[in-house]
Amino acid sequence: MRDLNLSLNQTQRVRLEAALHELQSLVPAAASAAAVTVADTIPVNQEDNILKYISLSQENTIKEDTISLFVCADGLVWCRGHGTSDQDGEVVATLCGVVERVNKLVYVRTLRARYKPEVGDIIVGRVIERRRTAVDELNMRSIFVENDVICVSTILALSVEVDNCFIFCFSDFKSVFAYVVVLTHADTLRVINHQAEVRGFQHDGSLHLQARSEKYGKVHASSATLPVTFNVQFPTSLDITGYATVPLYHYQSVPFYASNLAFMNCKNVLLQLERGQLLTVPPYLVKRKKQHFHHLAQYDVDLILGCNGFIWVGEHVLVGENVKTTEDQQKYEADNFTPLETRKHICRLANAIRVLSALGFTLTVELIIETAEASVSSNVEVNDMLGAEFYVQTAEREAKRRAALLRKKNGGR
Amino acid sequence: MVGLSEGEKHFIRGGIAQDIRTDGRKRLQFRALSVETGVIPQANGSARVRLGATEIIASVKAELGKPSILHPDKGKVSIFVDCSPTAEPTFEGRGSEELSTELAVALQRCLLGGKSGAGAAIDLSSLIVVDGKVCWDLYIDGLVVSSDGNLLDALAAAIKVALSDTGIPKVNVSLSAANDEEPEVDVSDEEFLQFDTSSVPVIITLTKVGRHYIVDATSEEESQMSSAVSVSVNRHGQICGLTKRGGAGLDPSVIFDMISVAKHVSQQFIGVLDSEIAAAEAEADE
Repeated sequence: MRDLNLSLNQTQRVRLEAALHELQSLVPAAASAAAVTVADTIPVNQEDNILKYISLSQENTIKEDTISLFVCADGLVWCRGHGTSDQDGEVVATLCGVVERVNKLVYVRTLRARYKPEVGDIIVGRVIERRRTAVDELNMRSIFVENDVICVSTILALSVEVDNCFIFCFSDFKSVFAYVVVLTHADTLRVINHQAEVRGFQHDGSLHLQARSEKYGKVHASSATLPVTFNVQFPTSLDITGYATVPLYHYQSVPFYASNLAFMNCKNVLLQLERGQLLTVPPYLVKRKKQHFHHLAQYDVDLILGCNGFIWVGEHVLVGENVKTTEDQQKYEADNFTPLETRKHICRLANAIRVLSALGFTLTVELIIETAEASVSSNVEVNDMLGAEFYVQTAEREAKRRAALLRKKNGGR
Repeated sequence: MVGLSEGEKHFIRGGIAQDIRTDGRKRLQFRALSVETGVIPQANGSARVRLGATEIIASVKAELGKPSILHPDKGKVSIFVDCSPTAEPTFEGRGSEELSTELAVALQRCLLGGKSGAGAAIDLSSLIVVDGKVCWDLYIDGLVVSSDGNLLDALAAAIKVALSDTGIPKVNVSLSAANDEEPEVDVSDEEFLQFDTSSVPVIITLTKVGRHYIVDATSEEESQMSSAVSVSVNRHGQICGLTKRGGAGLDPSVIFDMISVAKHVSQQFIGVLDSEIAAAEAEADE
């Protein structure tokens, strides 16, 4: 997210510095002890080691990550991970960050790390590319990499150009469920709605999906909400970049337009995120929580915090809704604009997210809502939320909140 | 720009129609403007202007040169625009040539006036040192560092600020030179003449999306535009240049309406820009 360029006048600058200073002082001292900057020596504790001598000629590089063995002056072995290098027999940091030790691995974890996807993450992504698989009749739009982040794509778009379609929202389950939609060329689309669990990542950045069981792969063709019949696949393992190992059956091709996409009647329904905006924030501001997909009922707005830093704020989409047909697509226009109130809420929340990310605060739903509410109560115009005054006020408010939290914690002990 | 989904596009169009854009602005509101002067010390004048996420750096360099034979009493000004690949990956190499030339031509039209130099933003006669022999050549360069829509407006604003920051060194001409010889000029390092930029116009681009026009479009909004009209207006409300982009045809009445809206908005924008320039100068003096 680009920073807001603000011209603060003198008093605002003073207030902002005071607030930031207070926030910094609230951080427990122990955390800063582990912090290192470039060229700091990392204390490698010799006693922790189990003696294991490895000759210097053996260089073990594990995976493509540069993990190399570091032999201390007295022959004890430590694994040197990211962000370290050895100089004159000492482990020296090459990055600014926090020193982490895992068993015998020492590495420096930067605070502003790139997003590393993990199984179970909820991410929001934009479909940008298709990859052809060996299954020729089907162009699988499956996994793509956007901004070097692994995103699982799904739905798609228009009947003719399946281009930039939107985001996808994962369910809040432990695994990343994805809908893999398979398309063919322009006029005829065959849709496979397929629920898969991420089994792992491959080296080139693609996801390895696995269908759980028959129940998940099957589509209720009889359901009234599904205007299209589906091509059902029950692979035991579907390697997207490779080949589908299973015979296709039940197959019918129907002229189909993307707006006709139907949703499966089951829990992990994919939501095609329609009206709203996508915001980008630095990924380290979104921590992994239990729930990433929030429906803010009081505003009728969906807020999805993707772990990759993409945040979707938009109109609420009902699960299982039958999406409009093509004839309605023309009506999609003027009559169907988002209602004004909802739009105001969406803009407020979006601006709250922008301000919070510019300030560098971890984004949680509560904080976002609180910021948006505060803007309403202090009568700040929606676009003034991006102004200097609100910026400073938000920083002050956050400092107060954290101080109060700390006091409560300390007082409670 | 990766591209937007249908839903997002619809949302943007709806926002413009309902007068609440994605960041809460009204249709005729500019983004936050921030101005810095003197960013390039080697140039005679420079400025960096940020309009939201769009960032432009403009620099003015003055060199002594010979005036053209057709206009021996006027100096020369040339404007170049370069789009840096940091703004968009597609700008790498020759990718930005088309856009840069388009922007440069539009700026030249608005700021420089016709071939005779009349009506230019900068009074070219003030650039002359010795009639027919020596004049100042101004090279104005605009660099697009970060692009989030509305490049033309930001470029014009940056050029205006850079010009206000420009100091042309004073030249002492030795009077003893003969008529057909090259006169000796002594460029002083100390004294500078500031430009009077009160007559430099600003450019307001009105982007038409659906049935409404917006000012200061972000690149997402620009992707939805049907056409855009850039009007260059000076402090007195006079139009100094007009450019229309975009494939859709416009009814003449719409053009007139857009021009009047642009005039109205430009007065506000000029006010904001002038106060920012004054603030930047005050800071520079500190």
